[in-house]
Amino acid sequence: MSTHTNTDAAGSRNAGNPIVEQRIALAMTINGERYDLKVMPTATLLDVIRDELGLTGAKKGCDMGGCGACTVLVAGRRIASCLALAASFSEADVTTIEGVGSADRLHPMQAAFMRHDALQCGYCTPGQILSAIALLSENPRSIEEIREGMSGNLCRCGAYTNIIAAIAEVAGR
Amino acid sequence: MNTRSVARYEGILKVTGDARYEGEIVPDGTLHATLIESPVACGELLSLDTSRTAAFPGFAVMVSHADAASLKPSAATALIREKAIHFHGQPVALVAAGTLAEAREAARAIQVATTTRPAVTDIGQAAGSAYTPAMVGRFPAVTRRGDSSKALSEAELVIRNRYTTGVNNHHPMEPHAVVCWWEGSRAVVHTSTQAIFGTRAIIAHAFDIPATDVRVLARFLGGGFGCKGQLWWPWMFWAMLASRKANRPVRLELSRAQMFTLVGRRQQTEQDLTLGFVAGRLTAIEHDVVAQTSTHAEFSDSTAVYTRLLYACPNVSTRHQLVPTNEPHPIPMRAPGTAPGTFALESAMDEAAELIGIDPLELRMRNFADQDQETGRPWSSNSLLECYRAGAERFGWAHRHARSATKVGRWKIGSGMATTLYPAIRQACRARVSLRVDGSLLVQCGTQDMGSGTYTALGQIAADALGVPMEKVTVELGDTLLPDGPFSGGSQVTASILPAVEVATSKLRATLASIAVADATSPLGGKPPQDLELRDETIRSRTSNAGEPLVDVLARAAPDGLEAEGESPATNHQELAATGMGYGAIFVEIGVDPELGEIRVRRVCGAFAAGRIVNPLLARGQYIGGLVGGIGMALHEETVTDRPTGCIIGKSLTDYLVPVHADMPEFDIIMIEETDPHLPGGVKGIGMLGTAGIQAAIANAVYDAIGKRVRKLPIRIEDCL
Ligand code: FES
Ligand code: FES
Repeated sequence: MSTHTNTDAAGSRNAGNPIVEQRIALAMTINGERYDLKVMPTATLLDVIRDELGLTGAKKGCDMGGCGACTVLVAGRRIASCLALAASFSEADVTTIEGVGSADRLHPMQAAFMRHDALQCGYCTPGQILSAIALLSENPRSIEEIREGMSGNLCRCGAYTNIIAAIAEVAGR
Repeated sequence: MNTRSVARYEGILKVTGDARYEGEIVPDGTLHATLIESPVACGELLSLDTSRTAAFPGFAVMVSHADAASLKPSAATALIREKAIHFHGQPVALVAAGTLAEAREAARAIQVATTTRPAVTDIGQAAGSAYTPAMVGRFPAVTRRGDSSKALSEAELVIRNRYTTGVNNHHPMEPHAVVCWWEGSRAVVHTSTQAIFGTRAIIAHAFDIPATDVRVLARFLGGGFGCKGQLWWPWMFWAMLASRKANRPVRLELSRAQMFTLVGRRQQTEQDLTLGFVAGRLTAIEHDVVAQTSTHAEFSDSTAVYTRLLYACPNVSTRHQLVPTNEPHPIPMRAPGTAPGTFALESAMDEAAELIGIDPLELRMRNFADQDQETGRPWSSNSLLECYRAGAERFGWAHRHARSATKVGRWKIGSGMATTLYPAIRQACRARVSLRVDGSLLVQCGTQDMGSGTYTALGQIAADALGVPMEKVTVELGDTLLPDGPFSGGSQVTASILPAVEVATSKLRATLASIAVADATSPLGGKPPQDLELRDETIRSRTSNAGEPLVDVLARAAPDGLEAEGESPATNHQELAATGMGYGAIFVEIGVDPELGEIRVRRVCGAFAAGRIVNPLLARGQYIGGLVGGIGMALHEETVTDRPTGCIIGKSLTDYLVPVHADMPEFDIIMIEETDPHLPGGVKGIGMLGTAGIQAAIANAVYDAIGKRVRKLPIRIEDCL
């Protein structure tokens, strides 16, 4: 496990800047790696992950909790990271799409999304996949419950049918 | 070329989060920008007081109309060079700072002073200022064929109604973003555009620099649906000016709220439609459209254009009028023209069928147009009748009455159908195909992939033509350093790239064949070149068992690999021998809860005929995606202006309803393959077909279920009570 920090770049850029003093020090685990961070009190988890750590798999579709593109897992549960203040996630265990699987070792949900062509532009896809993984641990009992449980993840390209087919396959339905 | 469902080429990058969208390319030292918006809908900017901003940490630069005065005037730069304020939320300045938070803080400290004039915020408020534009797209705004008023006076049955459609916003999941910088006098622009070459051209014009000094990149797009065309977000120029002023890269990303105001919208329409019939045949049509445009530019959808040719009818008059208002500017959106236009026409046909007393499907078949009604040209191919037949059979249209108005649980069931259509057009395209000595293939074309599968189509067409597996294909697009490709819009990309790639690959095939037969040591030596084909990475004789692996031929005779370019022209509308049109028939079953007014789409069967299908897996996804967009327009989406202030109400994805997972019906997609001798490559566009027609099919089904005719979109709960 390597240790990362976000203050090297941002800190030097803002040297002497009073805003830096306001930053809050905390540590969290992201995709199995420990990060020592200094975050602005107002920064969302999404902005820290995306802009400061460069993990751009989490997308900003609305920044208001309305689209699900920013979905990440915290201790295995899905949250809208645009609505989460980073400062309140000290010692949290966060999973982003980058931590789910890689091109040579796809997670079964990623592989199912590929097989079912459950995407078009791909912008909602990381959020859909993370949301789907968390949803299955919530034990949905029917396709209707899967649909309902996925309804916070918008797909403007309209790939919904294939997304549900992919999730249903992984769920063994 | 074969039809094959190969997996999406770039899918792996998208499911792993490795696909980098252009707004995510952020070099060190990048400034982050935000826009200051006008608090009034109509007036003039008086001043921007920046006296307090200098003290703000991280503040770097502000850019406004004053800086943009250095740009060459054009339609693309008009809005950012003026002090005039045309709509609520129009940006008056851009502020860039070290971080986005700092930029927002600094922007808040800038005092904006404006004058205020009374704003026109409703087309009803300014009906008197309606005018007729010269053109709607490439079509005349007003047409007259025969004598519709005479024919109406003689008709047995006349149906006259007003249909209205609301404002929609595109809302691709990726908001518009630009990251730009200057390398000396050359500009590098990473931006989410559907048209890299169009964007390059307007940048070069505005900054008065050669196009070759501008590089525009859009390798991944998080959707577009029309709002990422080249002309529609001039604030990109402000970001470029800020970058030049600060000598640092600048990044600007629009907020979701700004996606309601700054990047276009589907215009509101009021359509008066009159149909006249004699013995169940259309004898007259009059279709008058009044629509909203902005006070700073003109745009009209081709709403009544397709009424001119969908059905056989000798007497047709159509007219488009526009009313300028102080609201955001409209632009094309998914199925522009056909979506609002077919809502009116296909609703009216349903109303007519009931009054005539025949099956609405039969009425449509009886009025089938066997040639282009406007030009008299034949169709390049037309399988609409087959769509009607195949769709009706799969849907069970003949037995629908057994279910109509019956109840399933709390739902009253209804069925409806409608026709959809979209013209088949091509743009000019160049493509380069390179075969490397290891037998791998590189396909390059400066088009974009909006999510519609362009990466896959480019790779697949070239791979098939040269007998190379997809795993050995690399596709490059979305960069103006590549050969000029088409913009992503109007369902034209596959049709445009296919002939160009085929020209390039046939050059390569000819070269390979001549190399192979010229070598006496090759098993193919001395064979006639036309006897050879490429299959499974091998050059083979069609008539004997002789063959040689592709890599062997390349290693021997082309150790540097082979490269060829192909080019194909745009559709020449003046010299067409036949009119190209794609068609579909859409059948829906809905449920309406009569107590709550809630509407659920239960089943959709779409039968489509759009020439040759390159990849059925991706095509099916495109059709369904289009239908989902159409369901949104029919039942959910509406952008509402607060009339007193001109402000858009509820600028968020929680207020602007779009279809979600839970809204999804069961989809049954039928693809009727056509061999089209007139279209190069034989491909018609498919993206738009699903997004039109379905609105009327749903309205017709609502009528079937509860006997209420709703002539407005979106159809909401309150319309069904
Ligand atoms: S970006 Fe978080 S829900 Fe839309
Ligand atoms: S794939 Fe484009 S938004 Fe879902």
